Parts: sequence; structure tokens; C-alpha cells
Amino acid sequence: MGGGMVFGPGALIAVGLYLVSMIGVGWFARTRRQSNSMADFYLAGRSLGFGVLFLTLYATQYSGNTLFGYTGKTYRIGFEWTASVLFMFSVIVGYLLYAPRLVALARREGFITPGDYIAHRFSSPALTLLSTVLMIYALCNYALAQIKAMGAAVEGITACAVPGAYGIIGLAVIMVVYETLGGMRSVAWTDVIQGVVLLLGFGILALLIPMQLGGGLGHVVEQLSEMDPPKVQVPSLEGVNKWISYVFLLGCGAAIYPQAIQRLYSSRSVKVLKRSLAIMAFMPLTTTLVALICGLTAAVVLPDLGKVESDQVLARLCAMVMGESTLSYWLVVAVFAAALAALMSTADSALLSISSMFTKDIYQPYLRPRAAEAELTMVGKVSSWIIVVLLVVVAIGTKATLVRLLELKFEVLIQVVPCFFMGLYWPRLTAGTALAGMICGLVVALGLTLMGKPLLWGFHAGVVGLFLNAAVCGVGTLLKPAETT
Amino acid sequence: MDNAQENGELVGEPRRVGYVWLVYLLLYALAIPWYWPAGYRGPLVLGFPLWVAVSLGAVVLLAIWTSWVIHRHWIEAGEQD
Repeated sequence: MGGGMVFGPGALIAVGLYLVSMIGVGWFARTRRQSNSMADFYLAGRSLGFGVLFLTLYATQYSGNTLFGYTGKTYRIGFEWTASVLFMFSVIVGYLLYAPRLVALARREGFITPGDYIAHRFSSPALTLLSTVLMIYALCNYALAQIKAMGAAVEGITACAVPGAYGIIGLAVIMVVYETLGGMRSVAWTDVIQGVVLLLGFGILALLIPMQLGGGLGHVVEQLSEMDPPKVQVPSLEGVNKWISYVFLLGCGAAIYPQAIQRLYSSRSVKVLKRSLAIMAFMPLTTTLVALICGLTAAVVLPDLGKVESDQVLARLCAMVMGESTLSYWLVVAVFAAALAALMSTADSALLSISSMFTKDIYQPYLRPRAAEAELTMVGKVSSWIIVVLLVVVAIGTKATLVRLLELKFEVLIQVVPCFFMGLYWPRLTAGTALAGMICGLVVALGLTLMGKPLLWGFHAGVVGLFLNAAVCGVGTLLKPAETT
Repeated sequence: MDNAQENGELVGEPRRVGYVWLVYLLLYALAIPWYWPAGYRGPLVLGFPLWVAVSLGAVVLLAIWTSWVIHRHWIEAGEQD
């Protein structure tokens, strides 16, 4: 987040206080714990009520990528990125395809991780381990993107007075401190603050950017029609295929994010979960649609930026607005706080899930089968710190654009989808068939990506792999003779 | 402590209701802009090109439909009237 958006001492103190308050929330959450069990640490004792559950679902689903990556993508391809509103909505349809049955099962069996379900359903250590490794890999990639963006954000508002690496380290430490203090309870309660700040930030952006910089959306679109007509026209056939592919990629992939599944497990009741998901269905209209409008405005007022620079257009727009009045300045400070909220709320949730899967699905079955709950919880906290250190080292040492990172993680994660969407409903789907499908899907997805063909007629390599994966599961299940009694 | 045992069984779920997915299919077909002529922009509706306004309108309908489906077809024991 660069682009000359430099804050004065008052704004920096306000942002600093906001960040420190996260640790306060973490400490308060620690005082409210009911036991030293994994269910209490990783699922807040399955006690999240409507307000907390909705805001943690919202703050976790909408990441720094929504703010920076999606405005940048709209800047580059125009209205074709309206697809983002549809595919973020599709995540909720993805939940409807498996969540009712998984949630009922999870409450009966006391699941903590997605791996618990796979182990229960398929009784296959190989399938559970491969699924867990894929989910951890995808989540590490996701958390990495957020952590990298934190560095850019800090560099931007301090005019590089604070190097990005220090920003990454500082914010990562705050995040891991409040996460290890209170686990899911801390993360969900900080998500309440972060979710409200994020909603406020998107509201400000929707009012401020198109009106103040572009003279209103209609004016922006008329200007863009003259400057770059393809950005306002209907997409090509390949572009339409990409819309369909994104619906599968996000609708299936984001719906089985481990941190999303653990939020399904954490709700106080099914009634609370249903109300939260019903409202989540409308949130793309207040979030991704706003990012779309900001990206279009940027395409008009800041033309001819390169690909890497285009991921910073939101910061550049804010820099243009903030000098105009004291009110604008403080509104931009609020938007920046929203950006930090988006980054941290997504990264902390991913981190907590990675730690839970490492502890419950790898450490316990393979290293310490008889470990007590208190020991497992402690291992989870220590592993969080180790994972953060590794991610911070990688984040400081690598470069890539945000949206590409997002696509790469889904190529892998989406191959676990048949275990949920089919495994919950097809009793004859065996572990061997699911494993064969998963491996075939992975080979195709990674093979196409490594061959430099991330898209095939507009379809993502991961989605092509998923089609093959699902076909293997379908054919394997049909060929298996029905059991006779 | 864990309150998993306090919850009832699932008695209804959207996945098992055929017409729910037929409506989804129709609304997705409306939301994805496959049916417009190449290079079309159209008049502006609330600042959006017509084809975008139609897609966004379809997403609004999808969200309303989803909320109703969750309310009507995701039913646990004890929730039935």
C-alpha cells in the first residue's frame, strides 16, 4: 500500500492505539476461557452467538486481497471483474451443498478440524494426511499474502520511514500475541472490531472515491468508455468461461477453507449459523462491489499504471483524497485501519487453523497419540509462533502480485472438495477412490500451472483438475458394487 | 464445555430439494453475461452498463433466494412447526 499516502503523528498514534487494543481484546478473551481444552481454544467452546459469528465470518472471508487485489484487478480488466461479486456470493451456495450435514455430524462427534471429519468418514490415515497437508499449504499461502501486504501498508503510511520488514514483524507479533492468548475467542472478538471497521471503511470508500475523484459513477463509466472501451463491454467467450470457472473455484474452494469450516463448528446453535449465512449472502454487494467501483475510478483518474503498481491503486486514490480537507484526511485514516483489519482478521484466522490442524491432525496421531488436551493446546500455541516466524521470513524475502497468489492456493485446496461435497452424501465413495481422485486432480492442476497454462479456454487449472477429480470419484463410486446384507 | 450433545438432528436440507437448484441454475444463467452480443455496453443504469446492472440484479435475487432457502429448507429437529 504505497502511493504517497503519508500519515501525520496524530493518525499514526490513532492507528497504534487501535492495534494495541487488539492485544487488550486477546487478554480479555483469555480471562473468559472455560477450560484448557482444544474445543475451548480452537472453537471458543462452540459458543459464538449471532453478532460475533457473522462478523468473524465476514472479516475472515473478506481479506486484504479484496481491498487491494480486487481494486487492482478491476483497474486492469474493468467491468469483467463484476465476476467477483458473483463468485464471493457463490461461497454461500457452496456452504449449502455440504454444511447442514457436516455441522450436524460435527456436533454429534465433536469435530475440531476438517481433518477430524475426513478421518471419521473415510478411516484412512493417507487421505486424512494428504488433505491436511494440502489445506495447510493453501492456508500458509493465504496468510503469506496478507502478511506481505502488511509490510507494504506500513511503508506507505510512514513514507518508508518504517521499512516494510519492520512493519511485517510488528503486526505479525501483535497478531500472534492475541491469538495465542485466547485462541478462537480472541480471534473472533478481534474480528468483531475488525469487521465493523472494515464495513465502515468500505462505506467510506463507496461514498468518497467515485464522487470526490470521478464526479460520480456514471461520469466515470462514460469517461472509461472513451478511454478504454473493452473495460466497459461484455466479456469475450473466454471471459465468460472465466466467470464460470471463478464460480467453481471460489464457490467450492472458499467454502471449504479450514477457518471457514471451524467457524461452522463454533456456532452456538444451528439457528445462529443459519442467520449469519443468510446475511453473508448479501455482503458482496457492500464489499467486492465497492472494490470494483474504486478500481474503475482509478482506471480513469490514474491511467497507464503497470501490473505491480495497479495493486496499489487504492492507496494512490486515498492519497489523492486525503489532502483535500481534515474530514477527508481522517476518513482515509479510517480506511487504512479497515485495510489493516482486513489483513489481520484473515491472517489470524488462517494461522489459528494451521496451528489446530498441525496439532490435531499431525502432532497427535503421529507423534503423541496419548497427549493430554492441555499439552495439545500448548503445542498449538508454540506452533503458531513457529509458523509466524517462518511466514515472516518468507514474506520479507519474496515478491508476487496478490491475485496470482490467491489463484495458486485454490488450485490445491479445491482438490479436497469431493471429500466434503460427495463424501457426506455418497456412502459408497471409498477412501481409495477419493484419494485417487485427489491425486489425479492435483497432477492436472499443478501440471497445467507448471507448464505455463494456468487457464484452459478460460477455466482455471485447479477447476479442470477438480472436474477430473470429481469424475474419478463419480465413476469409482458407480463401479463399486452395492453392499449386500 | 462442549455443548455438541445439546443439538438436534438434521431433518431437512437444501441439497435434497430439486426446485431450489433449478432456480439457482436460472439465476446463475442470468448473472453470467453469456447472452449479450460481443462488444455490447448498453445504456447506463444507476451508473452501470446495462449488462452489468442485469448481472448485479441477478446477484441480488440470488442473495434473496439463498436467504429464503436457508430459512425454509435447512431444518433441524425441534425447528418444525
